[in-house]
Amino acid sequence: MADEKAGRFPDPHEYQVPPELEGWEEMYPSHYLFSDDRKEWESKQFWYLDKIHAPEPMPPLDQIFQEAWQISLSQYTTRVFCIPPAQGIAQRMVGCYMYICAIAPPPEEIIGEKAALFEKRVFYVFEHYEELWKKWLTKFKALGNEMAAVEVPKELPKFVPEDQVLPAPRGYYASYDLMTAFDKLANLMIKGWQYHFEMLNLTYLAYLMFGDVTRKLFPGISESAIGKMVAGAYVSMFKPEEELCRLARVARTSSIVSEVLKKEMPAQEKIAELDKTSEGKNWLQEFENAKDPWFYVSCGSGWFHHEGSWLTNLNIPFSYIKDYVERLERGETIERALDVINKQRDEIVAEYRNLIKTDDDRKAFDDAYKTIRTIYRYAEDHLFWVEHWLHTIWFSKIRELGKVLVDNRMLDRPDDIFMFNRYEVPEILTEVATGWALGVDIPLRGSYYKAKAKKRRDILEAAANWNPTPALGVPPEEVAEPFTIMLWGVTTDRVKEWLEGMGEVKGEDVSEVKGFASSAGVAEGPARVLRMLKDIVKLQPGEVLVCPSTNPSWAPVFTKITAAVTDIGGLTSHAAIVCREYGVPSVTGTGIATSVIKTGDIIRVDGDTGAVTIVKRA
Amino acid sequence: MELILNFNNVDKTSLPQVGGKNASLGEMIKAGIRVPPGFAVTTAAYQHFIAETGIGDAVFAHISDLDVNDVESLNKASAGIQELMRSSAMPEKINRAVRENYETLCRTCGTDTVPVAVRSSATAEDLPTASFAGQQDTYLWVLGADRVVERVKHCWASLFTPRAISYRVKNNFPHEKVLISVGVQKMVHSKAAGVLFTLNPTNGDPSKVVIEGSWGLGETVVSGSVTPDKFVVDKVIMEVSEKTISAKHIECVYNAGTGGVVEVDVAPDRQTRCCLDDREVMELVQMAKYIEEHYARPMDIEWAIDEDVTFPENVFIVQARPETVWSQKKKESVIGKKSGYQLLMEQAMKRIKIS
Repeated sequence: MADEKAGRFPDPHEYQVPPELEGWEEMYPSHYLFSDDRKEWESKQFWYLDKIHAPEPMPPLDQIFQEAWQISLSQYTTRVFCIPPAQGIAQRMVGCYMYICAIAPPPEEIIGEKAALFEKRVFYVFEHYEELWKKWLTKFKALGNEMAAVEVPKELPKFVPEDQVLPAPRGYYASYDLMTAFDKLANLMIKGWQYHFEMLNLTYLAYLMFGDVTRKLFPGISESAIGKMVAGAYVSMFKPEEELCRLARVARTSSIVSEVLKKEMPAQEKIAELDKTSEGKNWLQEFENAKDPWFYVSCGSGWFHHEGSWLTNLNIPFSYIKDYVERLERGETIERALDVINKQRDEIVAEYRNLIKTDDDRKAFDDAYKTIRTIYRYAEDHLFWVEHWLHTIWFSKIRELGKVLVDNRMLDRPDDIFMFNRYEVPEILTEVATGWALGVDIPLRGSYYKAKAKKRRDILEAAANWNPTPALGVPPEEVAEPFTIMLWGVTTDRVKEWLEGMGEVKGEDVSEVKGFASSAGVAEGPARVLRMLKDIVKLQPGEVLVCPSTNPSWAPVFTKITAAVTDIGGLTSHAAIVCREYGVPSVTGTGIATSVIKTGDIIRVDGDTGAVTIVKRA
Repeated sequence: MELILNFNNVDKTSLPQVGGKNASLGEMIKAGIRVPPGFAVTTAAYQHFIAETGIGDAVFAHISDLDVNDVESLNKASAGIQELMRSSAMPEKINRAVRENYETLCRTCGTDTVPVAVRSSATAEDLPTASFAGQQDTYLWVLGADRVVERVKHCWASLFTPRAISYRVKNNFPHEKVLISVGVQKMVHSKAAGVLFTLNPTNGDPSKVVIEGSWGLGETVVSGSVTPDKFVVDKVIMEVSEKTISAKHIECVYNAGTGGVVEVDVAPDRQTRCCLDDREVMELVQMAKYIEEHYARPMDIEWAIDEDVTFPENVFIVQARPETVWSQKKKESVIGKKSGYQLLMEQAMKRIKIS
């Protein structure tokens, strides 16, 4: 950060990454690099580290989701629903981290044209939201099923089977199947992401509008109060947990089943044991029925292949079920009263409404509220279907391809396929297909790819230990892009904070981190830093959870902890909603908690002010 | 006419007998709000005192042709009247009634001599101009029946301070028509005390309760002699949205040696400690919401935390009156007649300045 001057961040074309990252550029599509051809434009923009989607170094194939959202999010704003002064969000990679930029407003005449289209198209969506959502879900499920049905050849046969040749040749064979499987999967993922933003931009816009209206009526109203009025407990995000509760209740009807589930042993052994009795078989059938879609939930954000899912870590749902069965035996209630949450929300809204002094304002408030409530559930529902369900299907399909590459000695392990970006994978697959077609004893360049995968893993590891600058380029004077404001919270204060150079502070020198005061109350206790859900077994009752972010798969954890701190997530994030419900203080969206807090540190979480204080270092 | 009325038997309809402050305390007790117990010496007692002692003519003679702009004569007249009232013996009937009620209060509080606050409560206090309030005296930490009787007389006499006399003359308010009642109320042994508003006085935000508090008696906060701790609490979601802890360098406490209230320095380490814990803040907000609802208008409230009692019984309301600044503003729409779609369109056109 040598050339950091007041009011500006390093120039993206001059910014240096550590030498250990040498070779990082070739991991990503070339249009992701800052380039001389676009230097003039790039230097004028403001690029900031995207900690929400890319909090850690980006594995090359996981980059596909970023590539997909850059196009999709942007096109809905610029070409589909036409939010008048807003343009898209551009992405660049620097040393395995992703920087993003909200592009400046277009010329006035374009804004005018867009305004006319906006009125016509957007209001229609609000009028017809319910039916549009049903259509969305239908087509999205069809897309996921299509993806699950993509056939990946298990092996390349020595000779193609008889039935593909006689009585009439099929005409295309395993070589084609192998090459096209990946293309289909990649295209379907891109398509899923096109669907992802169908109503999201409008949801965020409506949220910002409602926030503005309430701030005018109640000048000091907090973000968390606005969040509480809008957010609800919706079906999709809470369904995985509900299904676990249901399975625990079913288990309780048979002592054979509940005794097995309570045992301290891996899920696979439990399944084997259950499979020996008819009652156990029945329960396993119930489990199978619930599995798709509800256990297609990522153990993380859904953005990284290595996070895994409940499907790939059956120990997680099984350990939750064990916990629930035990709680039921103690006579505790395990289900969360979702209707109570919604009732409380309605009471809060009614109470604020009663404080409004004039009829005109009350009417405007009601109208604004109706507008956001009509569409807001999209923000919570789409998440399960895209980032969890569809990504889980995709990862499992890609791993099938990875396995084919291992079987053909191109890679050491199936997950190495994620070390190659989506333009490189077809090349490897084509080489395998070619080799198979050429005949026997054909040399392939397995050692080349294996070495490359290893080198890239080393680069990613080195990048994980590097603290990149929070931003590059020149901060703009204004922002109109709704995601930038709502999701990344880019405000004057945030930019100032970055300028003050969070990046230069050493973790151990920090004694306080700040975030959103998302669930009220103050609590103190030993920290448990969990980067991965699979480490959850280490968590002790009474500890303070410190993690990158949470999602429904973390839900059962919240009964054990005294407070929660996350790197990512606002007031309507999963952690915030669940903490409020359990009355556990939380501070979300600190950006750096998992890097400055260490397990065992005594920390105080102030959910009223958003401050997390490190009281005593471990 | 009753000479004494227990606060339990008083409400807003009792104003002519017990004055504004006492009526308000009775009203709150009736509404179930935690207010320290006590009783009112009624306006009838005051009238009985004037009649029984026969000092009425002498009193009004002092001020019949007074030029209130002549400071020297004004002060002289005031001193004359006050001396006359203080030196006149308390009629036996009132004397006995006050003593009996004080003793009852002592028994209620489980002590022989309960410290009380003796305050005047004028019937004219509800004049449109609020400044009439506070022109009569307040005596804190009064101990024993003899002192209580004496302070009741002092309160009566405070109706004739130079400022009170001059105020009435300037506003053409006849002296004979102003009656006074006196409140005798258990003193809260206050660990901390202060004021609160059921709206944010800085911007009128009706969704907030703003609490200001400091160590000891609330006088330091009311008079502005310390910068108090400040809490802004959202009264709907019950979350503290702002919490400012200030260095509270002095506090008002009872001094047993002098038998009065004195200002003392606060030890350095205690200055910057928060004077309320989270539960107390929330209890105050709950009470504030309840009082505002009861009076159906924004209120300005004085409170105190008793250090001898355990939570939540330690949180007391000692005074409540209507908020005057924001309540008198004209109610204008801040958003205007706009549909959800119009608001959405406005939002879509917005650009947020960030530097």
